[in-house]
Parts: sequence; C-alpha cells; structure tokens
Amino acid sequence: MARMDFWSGAVVSALALALIIWVIPTYGGGGAAFGLPPQLLASLGAWLMLICAAALSLVSAVKLWRAGESPIQLPSGSHLWHMLWPFLYVLGFIFLVDRFPLTWIAPLLIGALLVILGERRWYLVLPVAVVPALGLYVLTAHLMRIGVV
Amino acid sequence: MIGFDAILASFGAAFTFHSIAVIFGGVLLGYIVGVIPGLNRSVAIAIAIPLTFYMSAYAAIAFLIGLSKGTAAGSAVSAILLNTPGEPSSAATCLDGYPLARSGKPRKALKVGLLASVVGDLLATLLLIAVAIPFAAVALKFGPYELAAILIFALVFIAGMAGGSFLKGLAAGGMGVILGTVGLDPETGAMRLTFGYAELMEGVPILPLVIGTLALSEMFVQLEEYRRNKDADVIRLSKNADDDLSYGEFKGTLPTIFKSTGIGAFVGALPGLGPSVGAFMAYGFAKRSAKNPDSFGKGNPNGIAAAEAADNAVIPASYIPLFGLGIPGSVSAALLVGAFMIHGIQVGPLMLRDHPEMLFTIFSGMIVASLLMLAIGWYGLRIFAKVTSVPPNIVIPVVIFLCLAGIQVQGYGTFGLIVVFGFAIFGYFLKKFDYSFVTFLVAFIVTPMLEMNLRQSIILSGGEISILLERPIALVFVIITALMVLHLGWSSYRRNASRRAAS
Repeated sequence: MARMDFWSGAVVSALALALIIWVIPTYGGGGAAFGLPPQLLASLGAWLMLICAAALSLVSAVKLWRAGESPIQLPSGSHLWHMLWPFLYVLGFIFLVDRFPLTWIAPLLIGALLVILGERRWYLVLPVAVVPALGLYVLTAHLMRIGVV
Repeated sequence: MIGFDAILASFGAAFTFHSIAVIFGGVLLGYIVGVIPGLNRSVAIAIAIPLTFYMSAYAAIAFLIGLSKGTAAGSAVSAILLNTPGEPSSAATCLDGYPLARSGKPRKALKVGLLASVVGDLLATLLLIAVAIPFAAVALKFGPYELAAILIFALVFIAGMAGGSFLKGLAAGGMGVILGTVGLDPETGAMRLTFGYAELMEGVPILPLVIGTLALSEMFVQLEEYRRNKDADVIRLSKNADDDLSYGEFKGTLPTIFKSTGIGAFVGALPGLGPSVGAFMAYGFAKRSAKNPDSFGKGNPNGIAAAEAADNAVIPASYIPLFGLGIPGSVSAALLVGAFMIHGIQVGPLMLRDHPEMLFTIFSGMIVASLLMLAIGWYGLRIFAKVTSVPPNIVIPVVIFLCLAGIQVQGYGTFGLIVVFGFAIFGYFLKKFDYSFVTFLVAFIVTPMLEMNLRQSIILSGGEISILLERPIALVFVIITALMVLHLGWSSYRRNASRRAAS
C-alpha cells in the first residue's frame, strides 16, 4: 500500500504542478474581475492537490524507507496486459464507432467480449450480443419518429 | 410556501397510474441490478440517467429514486444466497444472512432482509420529509456568506469521513474543484480550461463524467477481478416448510430494526459516511446489545435485520442535506443532482421556494417506492434468487455497451465517447489507488455553487474575502472547518503512529 501511495502521490503532485505552472495560467481564462478572478478557484484546487499529494508521497516514502522496501517494483508483463487489454478493447470500439453506426458493431463488441471471457455456448452468445443492439435500434428509431433526435 | 391543498394534490400526483408505473419500473430495475453481484447503485443510476432524458422531471427523479432504493434492497439477495454482496454496504448482511441460508433457511433470511429493508427505508423517508422542509426553510434565510462557508465545511467533512486517507480525500476534492471550474466564467466570460473545445463551454458534461468514472471504470475493475472470481456457489430456494418467516419471528426482530433505522438515518444525514458505515455500525450495536452475542455471525436473523434496516435507512436520510442545503452527501445523491440539473432544476433549499409541489411529489413518490419495494421483493423472491446466477461474463459486455450507447443516444458523438473513456481511466485510477470518489464527485458538483456564493460574498462586501470571518454563522463554520482539518490530520497521524508501533 505504501508503494502505491508513494507513486499515486507522486503522479498527482506532478499533475498538480503542471496545472499550476502551465495549464491554469495558459488556459484558465483571464480578464478583469471584481468578484473572483477566473483562475482563483482552479488554482486553489490545484494547490490543494499538490500539498496533499506531496504530503502523501513523502509520508509513504518514509514508510518505505523505514521498512527497507524499494519504491520500485515492476508488475509482471501478464499482470500489466490483464490490466491494459480492456482499455484497448473499448478504445478500439470507440475508433470503430467513429466510423460505423453503433447498432452495426454493438453485436460484435458484446459477442467478441463474451467469447474472450470464456463463453462458448452459441445459443447464449447470439441473443446476448444481438438483443441489446436491437433494443438500441428500436429506441433510436422510436426517438427519431417522435422527433426527439 | 405551499398550501395544504397543494401538498395533498402533490401526494395525489404521486399515486397516479403513470407515476406508480414509472416508480415500479425503477424499483424493479434497481432490484435486478442489486441482485447481480458486481453491479452497484452508482453504476445503475449512471447508466439509467440517459433513459430519463425523455421523461418529465418528476418521472425522471422518481424513477432514479426508485432505482436507488431497489438496488439497496436487492443487494441483500446476493449477499444472502451467494455470500457476495451486490453492494459493498450489504457486506454486513453476509455475516448472518449466508450462514442462515446455508443452514437450509434461505427464504427466511431473504424475508427478514426484505422486511427490515422496507421498514428502515420507509421510516427514514418519513424522517426526511419531517426534517428536510424545516431545514430548507432555515437555509433559505442564509446569504451567500453562510452558504459559501457551509459548502467549504461540507467538502472538508466529506473528504474526512468518506473513508480511506484524509490526504487522498482532499486531493480528490481538489481534482473535483478544478473540473468544476471548466467552462465559461460567469463574470468575465473567459473560457476556462476548455482547450478550444466548444463542447466544454458549459462545463464538463455531467453524463460522460458519471458514466465514465462510475460505470465504465467499474467494468474495467470487474474485468480485472473476473480472472480471480469465476465461480461462485449459489444457494437455491427449496420448498422446505420450515423455511419461512413467522409473524412471531418478525416481531422479534422489530426492536433491532427500529434501533438500526435510527443509526442508519443518523449516519445518512451526515454527508460522506455512506451506507457501509451505517450497516456495520448498526450490526455492531445489535451484536453488543444482544443477550446472546455469540449467535451473531452464525445465522442470527437480528444480524440481517440490523444490517439491512440501517443500509436502507441511509439512502433517504442522505437526501436530508441534499434537499435541505443542496449538498449531496453520497454518490447517489450527487447523481440525483446531475439528473436535476439535466432537467433544469436546482436542487436544494431553493426548491422549496421555486418548485414546492415537485418537492412534495418526490417525497410522496419515495413513499410509493418503499411500498413497491415490499411488493416486488415479496412476490419476486424466487425470480430474484435465480437472477443471482447471471454470470459476470454476460453482465460486463452488456454494461460496457450500455455505457457507450447512453453517450451516443444523447448525441455527444465521438467527443462524448472520448470524454467517457478518459473519465473511465480517471475513475479506474481513483478506485485502484483508493482516492475518495464521493469527495471528487461532490466537489465537482458543488464547485459552481461555491464559486457563485463566494463571488456574491466578495462583490457584496466590496472586494473583501475576509467577509466570511465577519459574519457570525459563516465564522462558526470556518472555525469548525479549521478544527476539523486539524482533528482529521492529527487522528491520521496518530493512526499511522500506532500502526508503526504495532508493527
């Protein structure tokens, strides 16, 4: 836990620093304000993040040092892959959704994931993959008919 | 203020066929979601919000409240039959529910859980109605100074009480504040943190944010955990005549239910604590005050009653700060704020002034939801017991599809899908590294309100931010906030020191 806290604290601190030094001054808006300056609240939020995350990182570093543990422990390749593939899978489908209608590729999205997760019974894969897409199609058609979309 | 006739009319509106049908749909869907392990209340509400776009404001809120209540009651089913809580807050129900079900009395365990849920929920709803309106009436007299100080206090309180590290809670709050400021600055008209995207002009869209951080990220976590927990042993309902709940047995659990409802309602009214704390506190109290505490953990119906009554009492009670002050005290309350915003209603004390009939109709809809919970749970017991065996490898792909479809149907397009994906990564990070999600979400939602009140205070005082220290009520809250920061920091230090000493 101390190792995770150390690294998460370090990442949040780096993010907060980037926000304070570059993002908020550049993109936080400007102009004369009688009440609150546009950047004030975002800057306060970033400072809060920085102080808390840096403190967390420091406390965790001390804990690791006292326990004689190294702050670096790389996860195994297979562990990393198991964490990563769902994100890549969904990202791939977002890429496809950008090019084709979701109702076309939804059965593929659901069906392929079912197969990846170990489901081999076609009489289960087929309805689970098709029914939600069909439901979406009917809903969209209904909404178009009543003029909502 | 609203008159008595109008209140009666509001209650009448909640008892129409259409209203009951909508709430029935919400409770039923909530029950199903609650029963399926791995799907929780937040995921259900996040996915259901797009469905409510085309409903009237009342129907949408009633549907979501019904959903929220249904998940709380339904999660007991998987806790009892699978020893896997549908919601983290039902973990306390597992302690006695599963042993009782294993001993051949699953139906009895389920009925105790259901009745305790309904009684706890109904009593807490009545408490909400009794307390929220006077609360809101007082809050209406507050000016921007007091409201700004109360909002700051609430954020710090939630960061400290939401569980886990106080430092992580505050850091998550900081992230929420930053995201809450995105969009057009109301005073100068400057674009803030929009990076040139016109879609961000009105702020970060709430729907992709909640679907990404709550639902999609949860599915990523579930996919990772699926490798480890593929098989679970489900207890089936039998036709054993001995396996039923008698009136005498239910009567025996009533004192525990009443006490646990009180604990749950108290915990729920404090922002940030959540139903898990309420359920475990009530369980612990019931065990300590029992004549035979050794029977707890071995299938004592009072253990189930305590956990379920408190768990279900927390939800209506968590709406007290929401309707009274506009402060969402839990993730589900924060999601309701989002739904209110989508329908153009500002939730909080102003609702009592601007939409009183809506407020009373929602309250009466909550009572209807409690009663429907009983009917659905009672008659659907056997079906819900079967739903527990739906495997996660079917649930996960369908939920991922629903997340993407919800964004597409709302017309957010590719931008919305990328935002939802970005927030899914962010939500995954919060969950894996145990950063308080509730603090992040509440900070994101209350930041525009906080900014508006701070701005008004500064303008009214002629540019003096120290005005917060000159108004008595605001000063009290500023002092309490400072003391709380010191207390939470000190207790965190002490906890670390004692852990170090123990190791």
